[in-house]
Amino acid sequence: MRPARPWARRAIVALAGATIALPLSIIVYQSFLDAPFFQPTARLSLDAWRFVFADGDFHRSARSTFLLAAGMAAIAVPCGSVLAFLLVRTDLPGRGWLEPAVLVPIFLSPVVLAFGYVVAVGPVGFFTLLIKQAFGGAPWNLYSLASVTVIAGLTHIPHVYLYASATLRSLGADLEEAARIAGANPARVAWSVSLPMVWPAILSSGVLVFFLGFEMFGLPLILGDPEGILVLSTYLYKLTNRLGVPSYQLMAVVAVVIMAIAFPLVWLQRRLLGAAGRYVSLRGKGARQRPLALGPWRWAAFASVLLWLTATVLVPLSGTVLRALVTTWGEGIRLADVLTLDHFRELLEYPNLVRGIVNTLAIGVVGGAVSVACYAAVALASHRWQSRWAKAVDYLVMVPRGMPGLVAGLAFFWLFLFIKPLAPLRSTVFSVWLAYTVVWFAYGMRLISSALLQVGPELEEAGLSVGASPRQVVRSITLPLIRFGLLGSWLLVFLIFVREYSTAVYLLGPGTEVIGSLIVSLWATGAIDLVAALAVVNVVLVGLGLAVALRLGVRMHE
Amino acid sequence: MLIAVSAVRHALAADVTPGTSSDVLAAADKEGKLVIYSTTDSALVQPLLKDFGTLHPKIQVEYNDMNSTELYNRFLSEAAAGSSSDFLWSSAMDLQMKLANDGYAQEYASPEAKSLPQWAVWKNEAFATTFEPIVFVYNKRLLKPEEAPQSHPELVKALKAQPDRFRGKLTSYDPERSGIGFLLITQDARLDPNFPETVRTYGSVGVKLYTSVGAMLERISSGEHLLGFNIFGSYALARQKKDPSLEIVYPKDYTLVMSRIAVVPKAAKHPNAGKAFLDYLISKRGQDLIAKAALFSVRPDVEGETTASALTKKLGGTLKPLPVGPSLLVYLDQAKRLEFLKQWQQAIGTK
Repeated sequence: MRPARPWARRAIVALAGATIALPLSIIVYQSFLDAPFFQPTARLSLDAWRFVFADGDFHRSARSTFLLAAGMAAIAVPCGSVLAFLLVRTDLPGRGWLEPAVLVPIFLSPVVLAFGYVVAVGPVGFFTLLIKQAFGGAPWNLYSLASVTVIAGLTHIPHVYLYASATLRSLGADLEEAARIAGANPARVAWSVSLPMVWPAILSSGVLVFFLGFEMFGLPLILGDPEGILVLSTYLYKLTNRLGVPSYQLMAVVAVVIMAIAFPLVWLQRRLLGAAGRYVSLRGKGARQRPLALGPWRWAAFASVLLWLTATVLVPLSGTVLRALVTTWGEGIRLADVLTLDHFRELLEYPNLVRGIVNTLAIGVVGGAVSVACYAAVALASHRWQSRWAKAVDYLVMVPRGMPGLVAGLAFFWLFLFIKPLAPLRSTVFSVWLAYTVVWFAYGMRLISSALLQVGPELEEAGLSVGASPRQVVRSITLPLIRFGLLGSWLLVFLIFVREYSTAVYLLGPGTEVIGSLIVSLWATGAIDLVAALAVVNVVLVGLGLAVALRLGVRMHE
Repeated sequence: MLIAVSAVRHALAADVTPGTSSDVLAAADKEGKLVIYSTTDSALVQPLLKDFGTLHPKIQVEYNDMNSTELYNRFLSEAAAGSSSDFLWSSAMDLQMKLANDGYAQEYASPEAKSLPQWAVWKNEAFATTFEPIVFVYNKRLLKPEEAPQSHPELVKALKAQPDRFRGKLTSYDPERSGIGFLLITQDARLDPNFPETVRTYGSVGVKLYTSVGAMLERISSGEHLLGFNIFGSYALARQKKDPSLEIVYPKDYTLVMSRIAVVPKAAKHPNAGKAFLDYLISKRGQDLIAKAALFSVRPDVEGETTASALTKKLGGTLKPLPVGPSLLVYLDQAKRLEFLKQWQQAIGTK
């Protein structure tokens, strides 16, 4: 192994560790107090823990959260893996435009998505009304845990797809070609050859989807609202008012519980990943791969992908867009009578909304790039470093992702408030960017690590043995090899940052507006017209961003 | 020339200018800034802020709107960190009152306060600034005006008469998840002699409970729900202007009146600017604009459709304004609150 320069690595790791650990420790500390930590009357106490564990709603919501997260993973992981295989390895029709299209569900803020579903397929949604007219009844109930799970599972397919496809692309196709020459059919090739090679990516994405299930807030908030279905995050939200005054200690307990569930999962995932060397397959040789012929299944596969896109993108999006263009909707309304563009005109009259749009773009494009640089620095610092430090980072970065965005945002609000040197930055977008970067740390890191995992050690060792310094190796060998992974991460981080909503709620103020938190805030005050218009702007921005990226040749495959 | 113009403008404005003392004004101009935390939509108050700006061009106003829980949280953490906003304006009357009661509010004998009703001012620390009726809202495409219940007993009767028609079609705030909703339902418990029966009836048709008024109005408008109760008249009016499918009922047996309470915090960075804004907000001039924004003026001497005087003419003694005072704090006691929620859950049948 090359000679490490531990001080530089340790500095990067320590800095990242502090940024993650600080908000985390505030929350843990808060859970053992009987009042907000900054109040002079706060005393150490276990009362908050007793209260939460004695509360029936807590146990009910914990059960539904498990069901939701497990169901989500059960849907998203197999579908996402198959989707990746279809798009990367086979002759599926329309791969060129499907490639960006399958990522669209990631762009949509869950709040927007949920709202779109209500307008489209809710009890008086326009699809529901059409179907009622045709068949006399609609067979679904949108406001059930099962619906939330299915929607969440379907909309998280792209998360798995991104991980699996990034890995598949970096894998040589020679093994698959060998299998094909030996007479295996496409399914057999996928199952016996491709799948074992992408296991690490699939497993880690599966664990992430499970996490996201724990953190999910927008979908259960809106779709679970009418039936009173609670998951841990909405239970936490409910706790805000249970005692009349905001009860940080109770919220902190639930946040700690969620993180306590997250830790064993991280450990499990590390065990499953095992010795990464087994999966190295990007060797010092390469051959252009030829797509696998699906034969008669080609169009069937194409239709399934289209069906999925219709259910997760077209249906909710048409709901949102429609809502943005009408003054009212529902039973007994002729849509032609209520069409209007006023909501968009209104949008421009609010300086804070316009600022929110600009800030969102800035955080997505510029902030996203800086975040990827940070993630890459940390990933490279712990890359091929057999040390407890490197292991610690692996575990640490997973933790904030298990922290509900709402709570993470609050913790960062406190940090910026009580750490004096940071105080002037609180009312700038920097605060929002930092919170986003930490909350999505695991996400960005995993993508970069998945790419790094594919780089065979012998390439780096070759560099070292001809006399290159470790820094030169990183710059001239490792970085160029993972450049598509980096570009992909930037794109993904951009999309995630543009869509993020709950983390910025507590940091929202003049100067720190972003579309996501504005939507939450407007939703509460009842300006649904503006919510719908803003949601459409959000979707358009992301669409434009993606178009520009594609135009510039930012591709996630080559 | 310039002096002449400004003198004329001054003379014209003199009779409607808030009576802020010159000391406070001078100090406020020197502070030069005013940070407001509010639960009122910034869109609604733009005219107010603009007008305040013409009166006090030297004071730069920063207006932050957020939900009531967030406002309370944010203020408390900032006060603990030693800096805070200069003006808190929230519809969560109980939380605002708690801040005043816990000693966070600055005492200020506003010269305008004597024009407010007695119930609207507490110890010169907390001031009611609006007069917002709590109403029923229904979808008039799906419920004919003659079918719409006009009081709480009529609502109960309608629900009992046509349980199937109203099943899953009645909506309101969830008192477990919404602080405002809790405050409103505890007032119902005080004012409705048949409260337990009323709640059981709500439960029997499977009332749908939400955390935000926007979600409720949206779903009433779409026809997913027929009727909502305990809805702020101000929001309903604002939505009704753009959306012809909504109709408003002021319940005849009693119409609860809520108010946005203003507090100037002790820890304010720009306390005089905060005081100047308070004077302005409850002055005739400010209240005229409050009425124009359909937030309902609280001052008896302001005329117009959305004012306390107009509502009093229309509804008289059935108006029940919620007095600003420690009675708002009753259910912030944990044990009492949890006990009330337990009974609510049993009556509504969610447990």
